[in-house]
Amino acid sequence: MEAVKEVTPQPVSHGQYLTFYVAGEEYAVNILKVKEIIEFDTVTVVPNTAPWIRGVTNLRGNVVPVIDLAVKFGLPASQTSKFSCIVITEVSYNGDRLTMGVMADSVSQVLDFLENEIEATPPFGTRVRLEFLLGMGKMNKKFCLILDIDKVLSADEIVAVTDSVKTLPAETVSPRSKSGKRAAEPGA
Amino acid sequence: MDFDRDAVLTSFVAETQEGLDLMEQSLLAMESRSGGTELLDDVFRVAHTLKGNATSLELDDLKGFAHAVEDLLDVLREQNAEVSADVISLLLKAVDELRALVAATPAGSPTLTPEQQQLRKQIGTQVASRSQRVMAPNPRTETEQTASGAATVAAPAPSRTLRTDIDKLDRMLNLTGEIVIAQGRLRRMIDNVGGELGRDLLEMQGETERLFHDLQDEVMRVRLVPIGTMLRQNLRAVRDLANSHSKLARVEVVGGDVEVDTTILEHLKDAVLHMIRNAIDHGIEAPPVRKKKGKNPCGLINVSAAHVGGYVVVTLHDDGAGLNRAKILQKAKQLGFFQNADPTSDSELYQVLFRPGFSTAELVTELSGRGVGLDVVKRNVEALHGTVEIDSEEGRSTTVTIRLPLTLAIIDGFSVQAGSDTYVVPQQYVVECTELPSAQGRPGNSGVLNLRGTALPYIRLREVFGQSAATAGRENVVVVRVGDFQAGIAVDQLLGGMQAVIKPLGKVFRGVSGIAGSTILGDGKVGLIIDVPGLLQGMMQSGLQAKSASAVH
Repeated sequence: MEAVKEVTPQPVSHGQYLTFYVAGEEYAVNILKVKEIIEFDTVTVVPNTAPWIRGVTNLRGNVVPVIDLAVKFGLPASQTSKFSCIVITEVSYNGDRLTMGVMADSVSQVLDFLENEIEATPPFGTRVRLEFLLGMGKMNKKFCLILDIDKVLSADEIVAVTDSVKTLPAETVSPRSKSGKRAAEPGA
Repeated sequence: MDFDRDAVLTSFVAETQEGLDLMEQSLLAMESRSGGTELLDDVFRVAHTLKGNATSLELDDLKGFAHAVEDLLDVLREQNAEVSADVISLLLKAVDELRALVAATPAGSPTLTPEQQQLRKQIGTQVASRSQRVMAPNPRTETEQTASGAATVAAPAPSRTLRTDIDKLDRMLNLTGEIVIAQGRLRRMIDNVGGELGRDLLEMQGETERLFHDLQDEVMRVRLVPIGTMLRQNLRAVRDLANSHSKLARVEVVGGDVEVDTTILEHLKDAVLHMIRNAIDHGIEAPPVRKKKGKNPCGLINVSAAHVGGYVVVTLHDDGAGLNRAKILQKAKQLGFFQNADPTSDSELYQVLFRPGFSTAELVTELSGRGVGLDVVKRNVEALHGTVEIDSEEGRSTTVTIRLPLTLAIIDGFSVQAGSDTYVVPQQYVVECTELPSAQGRPGNSGVLNLRGTALPYIRLREVFGQSAATAGRENVVVVRVGDFQAGIAVDQLLGGMQAVIKPLGKVFRGVSGIAGSTILGDGKVGLIIDVPGLLQGMMQSGLQAKSASAVH
């Protein structure tokens, strides 16, 4: 709101953005999506999930998933350093609010973008799939990529990756496996 | 004001629904053991309170309907006569309609549907035919009702109870879980202090922990509710169902004072109702058939609850026709089960009833049911870390046993290390722990171990869960049992038993196999709780897959 007062008539503020580095690239997220930033601590790997799910961490007693954007964008997994942190965001996931951590090599700054400082994403040339981007923010000579953080975490990708087990039809399930509760359930 | 009204409405709905439950139960009780004026008083009180509250909330149609019901009850009370089954049916129908009306109040004052008006008229006719006095609305009672109505809103039942949101209780439980974790860390720090100060601190810490333990127990106890209320709610379902199938059945509830966590109860409700439905639908025979068999024409469904160890066991027993073993086996074979060997026990055979896909419509008629939605029951129960078993004596009875943990929030676990992470195996599955002799430990994600002469298949957790770190040398095996099946889980290290406060992993991880949830460990890290049945199932299926693949080539 303050920003509106500061600027002279025409350019309107587009809101504040937190920028952070992942694999050498600077990304921005609308600050309203960010709940807090915590130091990168131990992350427990959850087996059988997509590789870009780094795992889960303990956020004051709540178990929060942590994703590695570098892997999601097709790069090697992020290395941790003393600058590494987790940006805790609140995203919408299948219509629900969900708390999710995003790994960052380091957090950079909070920027106030004016409307004319945001460019539409060019049809190619960015490392990130277009659907994950809201636009590009002008920062002096370079651009940062403004993420549509809600879309980055898409529903079906999380489990679908490794689980060949479940594709088995019910008929082939051994009758001895009576314990099996996860037997291929049609339509379950 | 509007805001206040919302709050008042919410508590009105909750309170009234409870009242109506009581009314229904009392009516049913009146029917089974006739001549209880106290019961009639209970019913009357509910109707009266409801009408009063509806008046003060300006819910006119609801008030009118409740008034009609009250009139009828009043007449019945005055006459002190036997209440016939017809009237009870009428009143039960009225309870249903009142429930619907009350449920609709938050959306605005409900109006009577034509059926409800019809019902109201029926009640009116009953009143008129029974009452000797003139049925003109009595102005005295009218004013009295308004006054008492206001009073009942202000001063509800005299019992010293408090209605609270489950979320608040959940939050309390969460916090106590957090404190357990924090205390563990604190204790470890104090252990390092040493000296006299260290001893003093340790002593103080010990005292705090004891006090806290008591507090935690209390918090857990607050969440416990007697199971009887839920079980008795089913009496109504039984009555209606039996009527519509022209069968006779009664339900006997044993152990209604057994307490379980409220969340568990909610989940259990559907399963129990389902099983009772099944029992009436397909178990209990029609009265003439029962007579021919020399049974009491009125079928008996016995629902009992009991604490056994850390579990609550709910048993449903009916003295109906039982299961047709031969037909089930035949059908099972048709579906591809038991191809190589016949099942060794009845309970093994009956487990197929819980298979999805076994409950086809064709089966329902062919086997006289007992397949309907049993897979759903099983899934519900297993989601609560429980088990369900079915047993039957053909022609005589069917017994369904549901075992559930007392609480969902905390489980006894056995923690193990594999690779760099710590995992928790729910204690309920653990049979024993043993060392994996290095001679038998072949590399790979699974193997077979000689356990006192029997071949025990085992899986290597480190490999299955994709932990990259190399073997720590000597490995251990946790022997687990699911149903009658035993297997081993090979891990790097056994860390020992612990109480794990269960933290849901969240929707993101729904459907991830092998993991049932998570917990916060003593060191603040997140530990994953292993879904033992799921894990074993996954291994079996991939084993089968490999087998069928090699058979093709």
